[in-house]
Amino acid sequence: MPESPNSRLFRPETLTALGTIVVAGGFLIPTSELRAISALLPAVMLIGLIVLSVFLLVSDQRKASAGVDADPVTQSPKRVTGAFLLIVAYALATDFIGFYASTAVTIPLVAWIFGYRSPVGLLIATVIVVGTVWAIFDFGMSQDFPSGRLWGR
Amino acid sequence: MYSDLLHALPNVFAVANFAAVIIGVIAGIVVGAMPGLSATMAISVLVPFTFGLEPLVALGLMAGIYNGAMYGGAIPAVLLRIPGTPAAVATTFDGYPMAQKGEGGFALQVAVVSSSIGGIASAFALMLLAPPLSKVTLLFGPSEVFWVAIFGLASIIFLLGGNPVKGLMSACFGVFVSVIGADPIYGNDRFTFGQLEMLDGINIVILLVGLYALPPVIDLLESPLKTDGVNSSKLGTESIWKALPRMKSFWKTWLRGSLIGIWIGILPGAGGSMAAFMSYNEARRSSKTPEAWGEGEPEGVAAAEVANNADTASALIPALTLGIPGTAVAAVMLGGLLVHGLQPGPMLFRDNPDIVFGFMWQFLFGAILLVLLGGSLATNSFARLLNLPRPLLGSVIIVLMLIGVYSIHGRMFDVYLMLGFGAIGWVMDRLKFPLPPVVLGLILGGFAEENLRLALRIGRGDPMILFQNTTSLVLVALTVAVIVGPTLKKRFIDSRKKT
Repeated sequence: MPESPNSRLFRPETLTALGTIVVAGGFLIPTSELRAISALLPAVMLIGLIVLSVFLLVSDQRKASAGVDADPVTQSPKRVTGAFLLIVAYALATDFIGFYASTAVTIPLVAWIFGYRSPVGLLIATVIVVGTVWAIFDFGMSQDFPSGRLWGR
Repeated sequence: MYSDLLHALPNVFAVANFAAVIIGVIAGIVVGAMPGLSATMAISVLVPFTFGLEPLVALGLMAGIYNGAMYGGAIPAVLLRIPGTPAAVATTFDGYPMAQKGEGGFALQVAVVSSSIGGIASAFALMLLAPPLSKVTLLFGPSEVFWVAIFGLASIIFLLGGNPVKGLMSACFGVFVSVIGADPIYGNDRFTFGQLEMLDGINIVILLVGLYALPPVIDLLESPLKTDGVNSSKLGTESIWKALPRMKSFWKTWLRGSLIGIWIGILPGAGGSMAAFMSYNEARRSSKTPEAWGEGEPEGVAAAEVANNADTASALIPALTLGIPGTAVAAVMLGGLLVHGLQPGPMLFRDNPDIVFGFMWQFLFGAILLVLLGGSLATNSFARLLNLPRPLLGSVIIVLMLIGVYSIHGRMFDVYLMLGFGAIGWVMDRLKFPLPPVVLGLILGGFAEENLRLALRIGRGDPMILFQNTTSLVLVALTVAVIVGPTLKKRFIDSRKKT
């Protein structure tokens, strides 16, 4: 049975095509301020993306009309969203409170949340990873890592 | 023509360069043995760490990882029926039944010997075919180089299979990313939005880590596999030297599989899994006991493993000479070359013979080392890796990704950019948009633009300069053939089916 017009708009490929059209259209605006030769390749690519997105959109909507179900993007949306958010939070924490503190928290936290619950294993893994990173990069290669904007350094 | 090859040999034996190959092979086997991790992902994570290394050390690591991972994928394929890498799917057909019969150790030994033979054959193919091809490409001018770039993009989009619209969108995205930054000729900003960090363009490593490393990490955390209970101490492994006589009869399968793997590796877009399936099918077809295949026939493991390793170095033949990678791993390796200022293509062989030929030797030694490092004792140790908790592995890879990307310029902006590309890469991966055209678009986009502009300047703005010599016309014809070929072939097959 064909999907309702509302749910048809929320098919992953349709959403991707619409998103690409909007973003590529947005990027197309600054090309008008560039010299013709500088704008040539980016403009062709952006117009190409828009045209191809229209093809993708039409093809996906045809499938929807024919009653073909869209494949789900993920079987566990909560776990995927959680994983993404934790990774982004780790990057922000590194930026604001420093690399070593955030790494020492992130390794056990991510592993614990996603199913590895051995306190000893988590402690050993965290010490090994943080210690190895310090020994190789900080001590051995004099590589500076973020020390945290919050501490004003 | 081959004198440069011999001159490069002593460099490979420098302690650091040789150690890099050994470490790479071990790391590759470890990565390949972990279901969900791949050589592509491992090399993507590795590339930023190689910035400060000598080129041959970095390339040795990559060559080792590529060789090791292709064999490593056989470990879970045999023990768990879960291919560690996509190329190891065909290994499960007979490897797992062998493990169930208590012959898991022998199956892994067949896999490691066959992988090594495939890798050696592939390295020889790279050494024999790449130098003459590079001589031809040295004669190319700007318009030919432009068409080579277009041909490379077209090949990877249309020969990769799947939906060509999605392939084209991936390539457009990659080429668009390549133009971000200051215009190479006039210097005006393109899509930097005032961010000084983007003036130099998007570093390929940031894109590689985002596209190829973040999605597997999300996969690891999304559905952790339960691999408890892999008892590697009961593999029944004997010394590899004692097992070799039992493999003598596989020589035809090894020869056939090597040729198939080399050919598939050279073809842009095709990969190790296709080579393994083709080799397995051909070997079964010519077997005197085809009914035994799928029930634990060691020759089935040999056929799959020899072919999926034979496409490793050969995938670099078009990559190193023309800048067109045969596989996704080769595309990532092109990124690794760029990091060290080595532009793949005609000039690479002329300007950096020691490095490019040394890299070929490293592929050969990596393949030979497989047998020594993946022997009986090591096979048992690697099999134990399957018990590592995947959530812990995922969290460690996240840390490595951040360190790698941050280390490029020492700024968090690149990490945020990588996360953005990672999110895009994850969506693309789930919606079956091919990722290699993005990487190739980024590599070839700027290259194509630069040569197009140069050709137009030479021709004083006349676009007909792009069609004024035979080589350009041949490349245009090849590009058209690549674009319309799959459609014509499909129509031909459909019409034959109807009749």
